Amino acid sequence: MTSIHLANLGKTFGSFTALRNMNLEIADGEFVALLGPSGCGKSTTMNMISGMIEPSEGEILFGERDMRGVPMSRRGVGFVFQNYAIFTHMTVYENLAYGLCATGVGKAERERRVNDMAEFLHLTALLKKPAAGLSVNILQRLAIGRSAIMEPAIFLLDEPLSNVDAAFRAVMRTELKHLQREFRQTMVYVTHDQLEAMTMADRIAVMDHGKLLQVGTPIDVYNNPSNVFVAGFLGSPGMNLIKGRSVASGEAMCIDLGEAGLSAPLPGALFRGLPEGKAVVYGFRPEHCELTDDDGLRLPVNFVERIGARTILHMGQGGHSIKGVFDNRVPVRQGDIVTLAIDPSNIRLFDADTGAAIVETH
Amino acid sequence: MTMAALDTNTPVMEHEDTRDSRRLGIWLTLPAQILVLFIAVFPILMQVYISLTDWSPLDGIGWWQAHELWNSFANYSDLMADDRFWSALGRTVLVMAICVPVEFLLGLGLAILFVDDFPGRRFLYSVLLIPMMVVPAVAGYMFFMLFQSGGPVNDILSFFYGAPVTIAWLADPDLAFFAVIVSDIWQWTPLMFLILLAGMVGVPEDQLRAATLLGASWATRFRTIVLPRMKTIIIIALAIRVIENFKVFDNFYIMTGGGPGVATETISIYIYKVTQQELIWGYVAAVALVILIALSVVSAIAIKRMSRGVSQ
Amino acid sequence: MNRSLSFEIFRYAAILTIVALSLVPTLWMASMAFKPIAEWSATGADLTWWPKSPTLDNFRFLFGESSSDLIVALDRTAARPILASLLSAVFGTLIAMVAGTSAAYGLSRFGSGGNLPLALIQLRIFPPMAVMIPVMIMWAFLDLIDTWYGLALVYGIVTMPFAFWLMKTFFDDMPREIEDAALVEGCSRLRVFWKITLPMMRPALASSALFVFILNWSDYLIGLLLTTRDWVTIPVYMASLSSSMTGQLYGAKAALGLIAAIPPVVLGIAIQKHLVRGLTFGALKQ
Repeated sequence: MTSIHLANLGKTFGSFTALRNMNLEIADGEFVALLGPSGCGKSTTMNMISGMIEPSEGEILFGERDMRGVPMSRRGVGFVFQNYAIFTHMTVYENLAYGLCATGVGKAERERRVNDMAEFLHLTALLKKPAAGLSVNILQRLAIGRSAIMEPAIFLLDEPLSNVDAAFRAVMRTELKHLQREFRQTMVYVTHDQLEAMTMADRIAVMDHGKLLQVGTPIDVYNNPSNVFVAGFLGSPGMNLIKGRSVASGEAMCIDLGEAGLSAPLPGALFRGLPEGKAVVYGFRPEHCELTDDDGLRLPVNFVERIGARTILHMGQGGHSIKGVFDNRVPVRQGDIVTLAIDPSNIRLFDADTGAAIVETH
Repeated sequence: MTMAALDTNTPVMEHEDTRDSRRLGIWLTLPAQILVLFIAVFPILMQVYISLTDWSPLDGIGWWQAHELWNSFANYSDLMADDRFWSALGRTVLVMAICVPVEFLLGLGLAILFVDDFPGRRFLYSVLLIPMMVVPAVAGYMFFMLFQSGGPVNDILSFFYGAPVTIAWLADPDLAFFAVIVSDIWQWTPLMFLILLAGMVGVPEDQLRAATLLGASWATRFRTIVLPRMKTIIIIALAIRVIENFKVFDNFYIMTGGGPGVATETISIYIYKVTQQELIWGYVAAVALVILIALSVVSAIAIKRMSRGVSQ
Repeated sequence: MNRSLSFEIFRYAAILTIVALSLVPTLWMASMAFKPIAEWSATGADLTWWPKSPTLDNFRFLFGESSSDLIVALDRTAARPILASLLSAVFGTLIAMVAGTSAAYGLSRFGSGGNLPLALIQLRIFPPMAVMIPVMIMWAFLDLIDTWYGLALVYGIVTMPFAFWLMKTFFDDMPREIEDAALVEGCSRLRVFWKITLPMMRPALASSALFVFILNWSDYLIGLLLTTRDWVTIPVYMASLSSSMTGQLYGAKAALGLIAAIPPVVLGIAIQKHLVRGLTFGALKQ
């Protein structure tokens, strides 16, 4: 068990920058998910932690220890591959014992540890079986056990659920989280699936285009996205983001949303420092709006998407595309014009130029 | 009546269809079957017949009349006592025992060097394959030139030795044997390399990384992951070379004609020379037949074991 | 994996050494092909690695131009043997491909000819020398000795196993849904094979045919046994390139050897992708 410190980490492949200036502290025993779309640099980060590739710049520390030049075979990193990389030409026992054999652990010790691990993971009955043809949840357990038996300082998991049937993923997620609690290991989990990250991780690190955008607990990142990308990426559907301009309206400040009309006054305390005429992005979650008969944003309904428990309204005109999540009995049909009221406390503003969140100025 | 007709109606149509398919299948395979019959079955029967006689094309009688020269199993008992035959057979096996392992190890070593990417890999790979595509007979002429006493091999040796070297390679039994072996290794190492590299590239990279992360050294990975995963391919590569090497004729015959004496005479060269020079075809037929039967038995066993190994 | 600098240096050193060694024989022949007679039969001391005065005389000589240096002229030029090799290899390939492809389709789709795979492997295992005696007798009987078509027929049979196995693996790889769709449309089986399957298999047919052609072109022994004078193939003819006056005609041999070596090397590199499949009877696909 150990903490991980990434400082100014960067990687370039020729002229392509896969990752730049990444700073991340991962505490002992913490489960951190690196979340982002493909090509965001999350796998590059993980491969550098494991030692498969060398960083172009910056440093990686495990605890106090600098990992520069330490080959992957000596980093004490447990790695679970996307396809589990089980040695299918060996038995379950041979798979579990592989690392111990390779590092010259004595036979008696080896046998004891393999049996303990098999017991722990409920694999004892399968020890003599060939590893080819096992079901995917057993493969996952075997892959974790094969690494865990070496008592690695940290565990890296590279999208281990992406090859699993959607229906089975929930089961696998629960099992994985359960195993992490049992092992109490520092774990770094790479995924593009926000559901996996939200449900399992202690903290989420959202990445895009080789940059770390935000780190925080799942709830914090969800509630207070630090920029427009994080706001749009998290949540299903993601946050509504409408371009607008700040205008003074009597005492208060509103956002002119163009064809959608003028927003409700911003809560004065929150946006007191906002200059007039500033180009902003007005954001709110689809869950945080309701239909009203009073003032609000007037929008045509383009499409009604009914998905069982919820109904999603696709609204907007011109350049806007706004989604709202309602319960399944919402009395709206395609073509209706609705008026949307948004709870002011759930409004988030972003700088239209930089994309960064505009936070309360004191 | 109607019921019965209805009952059989659909099945009959299906039956018709499969029968049509089967008939088409038979027609499609017919040319191949006839050709096999033409070169394998019929000639072998003919060979059995002739091998029991003293027939020779110079006897002035057609082969179908060979029974006039019936000698029972004399050819086969002669064969048992034919030292030249046995030594040719032994030499063929010796050539195989030297060439195949050397080619295998060189090919494996090259495959290891080529398994991951480096600048120039594709080009060098293509260049390395050239020897196996050179017509073997032409390779024979090439090596014949190389090993002349005034040829380039001696020239290179002179350079290292510091004085003119004039070894008559192809005139000395041991050196000639060495020379023909070199030509075989030159030509067929690329084949081993090609097949083994294809197998080695097929070893999943994630498995190798997983093994590395578990602390396995390069040698351990090679022994526990790469070789076991290449088992089938290695068997195929070795089998192909053993089969081809047993037939070796072209470059050997062109370089040395089987000589000096019988120093490089393999079984194919032996049969050829007996056919051409001694013209006792009844006897040659017996020799060839013995070889064919021995090979059939060995290969049938090998194929059976291999297909069992592959299906595992 | 972990690539250290010393490993990279070792890798290049080892590969370049082996590449150099493997190129020496071929380059020696190529260089010899352009050497004038004065540079052919040099003894150790003044051996020339690269032609000092390169010439095309060797090639001209092969095609009938008498050479004042050699004092000899060929009574038969190399044109006929080249034609013989070409005709027999091309038609041998045609026979092998037609018989092999249709049999492969029959086996792959209808399971007919289940005896063929093993029979063809056996056929491949047999040394040609051991099968050729009765064939020589038969060919003499059928008056096929020393004809290009007699040779082509044997080539076709000997290389059919390769055509069969290659095409069988290609057919096995081909999705059947396309054929099934056409069958449902009411096409006959034969029409589907002719109009749908074969056109789709064009690249596979081309590379298989080239592979088989290389094998046929590379033959020596069968040509040696079945041709005597009019239709001798290139390698058989090469043996006659010597004269009592000048001994071995090295330059002419090298020139002809170069001509013979170029097609398979070029074609082989062109179908590199399928070489492994061909050589391993389809057991291994690259």
